[in-house]
Amino acid sequence: MVRLRPRADVSLLLTCLALYVASAAQIRAVRGSALTTGLFALWSPVPKLAASVVEVWDNWVVGRHDLDTTLERYAALRLEVARLREANQVLASDVLALRQGSALLAGFPSLVDRSTVARVITRDVLVSHTMRLDRGRLDGIRLDSPVLGEHGVLGRVDQLADRSCRVQLLSHPSAAAAARLVDLAGEGLLLGGDRPNITGLPPYLEVPVGALVLTTGSEGIYPPGLLLGETGEARTEGLFTVVPVRLAARPTEALVVLVLAPESAGAR
Amino acid sequence: MRLLLLLLVAALAQLALPSVRVWAPLAACRPLLLVTVAAARTLTPLGAAWVGLGVGLLIDLLTDQAVGPGGIGGALAGLAVSVTARRFELTGPLFWIVGVVVAVLTTEIVATVVLFSLGGSLGHGWRGSVATLATTGAVALVVAAAERAWLAWQSPTRRRRRMLNRL
Repeated sequence: MVRLRPRADVSLLLTCLALYVASAAQIRAVRGSALTTGLFALWSPVPKLAASVVEVWDNWVVGRHDLDTTLERYAALRLEVARLREANQVLASDVLALRQGSALLAGFPSLVDRSTVARVITRDVLVSHTMRLDRGRLDGIRLDSPVLGEHGVLGRVDQLADRSCRVQLLSHPSAAAAARLVDLAGEGLLLGGDRPNITGLPPYLEVPVGALVLTTGSEGIYPPGLLLGETGEARTEGLFTVVPVRLAARPTEALVVLVLAPESAGAR
Repeated sequence: MRLLLLLLVAALAQLALPSVRVWAPLAACRPLLLVTVAAARTLTPLGAAWVGLGVGLLIDLLTDQAVGPGGIGGALAGLAVSVTARRFELTGPLFWIVGVVVAVLTTEIVATVVLFSLGGSLGHGWRGSVATLATTGAVALVVAAAERAWLAWQSPTRRRRRMLNRL
């Protein structure tokens, strides 16, 4: 048996020749030769697979990039929303305060010249019955200055600092104001506390429920004619008629108040 | 073994370079030709020619061309690179640059001649050939630089210097 062992250079030459013929067959065949068809059938899955891998990789990279970008954007937007919400709250508070201040000034036109508008910083209407304002001695506030809310008298200044002051509310147990009832003669003393009432009125006085209670100014702190509240059901205790009063001003709703110049000349 | 690894990496690069995510001119690059050039360093001219033939056929397959002209061109390119490198004793970066230039020119010219003799033509004009030459040459430059750096890192001189520094 003859064993064919061609030399390497001859093999190379023959292979190149075979490739030339194969190339000719591929180029001449309009629809493709059997060789190209076979090679294509064998080879086509490889580029497809490679293309799929590249596509998957590409999608993964792009998706990852998009995800990172989206997450960054989301975090930034959340911060922005938080900032805007905070600003919105501040603005809403300011608008409310401005409205209250505007209503206050419109409600007491005769007092505008001798009053200062102040914002409420803190308030405790249940325990200490006080509120703190953002105006103080340097703003012209004096001790015993009357403080008005939108609906009536709130109290008086009882502590003073350079840039703030404390207001003793009418609901404070030691608060008092000279008061009178509309359409009724006589003057009494409005005493504070959890249940404010007017005392010092003559006994067996017929007091209608819901009558307006106004300041008289005799105690030297509050100007006369300011609304203190409305009467409840009166009763006689000893020598006086005691009239429960529902205070008109609501400290819990007050954001802006009007601080008047004190009535007494000796105010510090 | 190294040649096989290089072939695998080059084939993957050949598949990846036409991707849309890659800079478009790099699609003209033929990194597989570097395998032919690398073979010319270690193998005999005939061995390099056989490697070139296989690489050329692979390029034909990967680039969707008629299978054959690239193989013939690759075989002649392997032969030409090997002979040139031996004749001019090319080493280092010069070996890679000249080798790639010879390989690309041989492949392009042979493929053109073969196709022309069969009544066909290359799928690209001279601009395509220039782009192939430039991009493959650039890759060869990178390979040469990397090889240089690797040799410098592994050089006995550097080892001795490091040992002396430790003392």
